[in-house]
Parts: sequence; structure tokens; C-alpha cells
Amino acid sequence: MTDKFHSIRIAACILGTLIAAPALAGSAAESVSANDPFVRLAPPGMTNTGAFMVLKNADSKDHKVVKAESTVAKATELHTHTNEGGVMKMRPVKDIEIKSKGEAVLKPGSLHVMLIGLKQDIKEGDNVAITLTFEDGSSKKVEAPVRKIQTEMKMEMMHDHEGMKH
Amino acid sequence: MKKFLVGIILALSLLLVWAITLWQPSGTQSGIHSPLGLAEVPRGGDFTLHSPSGPLALHDLKGKVVLLYFGYTFCPDICPTSLGFTSQALASLDKDELDKVQMLFVTVDPERDKLDKLKTYTAYFHPSIVGLSGTPEEIAKVAKLYGASYAKQNTASAGGYVVDHSAYTYVIAPDGSLFKALDHGTPPAQVVEAIRAAMQMK
Repeated sequence: MTDKFHSIRIAACILGTLIAAPALAGSAAESVSANDPFVRLAPPGMTNTGAFMVLKNADSKDHKVVKAESTVAKATELHTHTNEGGVMKMRPVKDIEIKSKGEAVLKPGSLHVMLIGLKQDIKEGDNVAITLTFEDGSSKKVEAPVRKIQTEMKMEMMHDHEGMKH
Repeated sequence: MKKFLVGIILALSLLLVWAITLWQPSGTQSGIHSPLGLAEVPRGGDFTLHSPSGPLALHDLKGKVVLLYFGYTFCPDICPTSLGFTSQALASLDKDELDKVQMLFVTVDPERDKLDKLKTYTAYFHPSIVGLSGTPEEIAKVAKLYGASYAKQNTASAGGYVVDHSAYTYVIAPDGSLFKALDHGTPPAQVVEAIRAAMQMK
């Protein structure tokens, strides 16, 4: 029993070292950039919406977003959607991993930051501040403009167009 | 020496314990998993549900192409995407065509989606979309006809429960028969194509 207790303490030490080590080599917040963030405008009367962005990790190590916060909502959570045989399932996730030199794409129908219980009316063109906290405790503030779904789709089509030209 | 060996063994077993308990290679997803396939093969058929302006039956819409979708307003992502695409398709029809199309949004969350809420919600996407609700039994019956499946799920989210649901848009021909089921995320141009093809079915 005492051995087990001892083990836990040593495990904690090892874990502590693992967590602290990356801090020496530049924080996750410094290595990860948030590109093209946006918040989808909630339909009138609706108090929940999603925030989307592309997280890019320039570091040689993997990083994780472990928390998202925003003052515009009562709760801000990390969520994902899975499509299982045509059935859409939305679930909270405990973190979002961004692989070394890779990216995590937060987009409709997939990973997203869920804003639950909007405290204020947000309008198209407003900027919503979202703070992402990483596994090493570092954090990053992202300013995400609010977009109507129609605008969002138009922009997506423009992107597709550009893609086709290349 | 013995102490040293014990130390090494202890350290290795600790690593093992750590690996087993904390290291989750596939573990970005937490939550409940339950098998939830599509309930039935879609057959289609007549039904009556409640709209904000009174009862509405599919046979009332005879002569029109009906787009039928099952969702809920709390859904922050899947339903708005589906409705966004469909409303774009509706917006690209000419007036004569639009008169011959009716989009219906059936809630699978009647507990939270009251008719007035549905009305505001659907109007945001397109003024012609009608929201429908009913008792859980009435809704389940219609969903079964079309092979739509849904299940309330409690999650750790502060937003309360979510509803897992299939996200097809069912295209019903003017004679009331099921013409086609469009996958989630079908682009507006293909929705328009399906609507026009269904119009040819007399």
C-alpha cells in the first residue's frame, strides 16, 4: 500500500517533468498560430454557437489545446462532431491535439469551440475574444469575427474557386 | 544492489502505470458511445404534425416538392449548415419554382423547441421554411417512415443534453412519394438539381 503511494508520488514527479520540459523550449502558445478564426452568428433567439479556426503548430513537438474561454458565453467548451453511419454526434472533448508541424482544423461538422449560453447579442462584424489555453499552461487570445452562415458559405465557395485555379 | 534493482523495477512499472492510465493515443474523444444506426429503410409516406400556424399534413402539400429535414435548434453546427445550404438552393430558384417547393424542419427535440422558437429559427434561414413539432410519439412515427434516427444523449457539456441525429434532407416528389435522400452537406447546386428532378416526377 505504501509502495503504491510512493509510486504515485514518483509518477507525479515524472509527469511534472514532462509537463514542465516544453516550457523551456518556447511555449505552446508561441508555437501555435490560429488562422482565419470566425464565430458563426447564432440565429435570432438562439444562445449557442460555434467558433472555428485552423490551428497550426510550427514546433517540433505536438501541442494540445486543453481549454477555451470567452466572456461572451456562460460556458465555452471544446467539442467535436462525428458522423457515424449518417448520424451526427456532438460531444465535448478534453483537448484538441495539434501535431508537430501539422494543423488542427476547427470547422463546421467537426472540431469546434462551442459557445454555450451567449450572454449578449453578438452581431455580424463583432469580434469575439476567445482565450485558448495549452497543455503547458501558456495561453493565446484569438479575436474571431462574427460571420453569418451565408457569408461563411460564400467565402468557402470563393476558397474553392481559388483552389481550382491552382 | 538489490535496492537498486528494486528501484529500476519500480521506475519501469511506474512508466507502465502512467502509459496505461494517462497516455491515450486515440483519445481526443470522450463521451458516450451507443450503437445508433439508421432506424429504418426510408419508405416515406403521409403524416400530420403541428406548424406554428396549425396542423400541417404532407397531403396538404400535394403538387409541391417537399424537402424534409429532422433536426433541433440547439444544434449549433450541423442543422445550420444543412439549412444554410438548402436556403441557398431555395434562393437560387425562380419565383415560379419556389412556389412549388416547401421546406419542412421537423424538430427532434420537442422538449426545448417550442413552435414560436422554431418559427424564428426557420425564418432566419429562409422565410418559406416551416418548422414542425408534435408529441415525441408523433415525431417518432414520422421519423420512422423516413428512416431518420435520433437519440437524446446526456454529455458532460454545460449546455445540457444533445440529440444525436441523422442529417439527411428528404426530397419528396409532388405526388407525395419519397424521391431521394440527400446527404448532409450536399452543396446548394446539387440540392437545386434534386428539386428540379423531383418536379419532373408527376
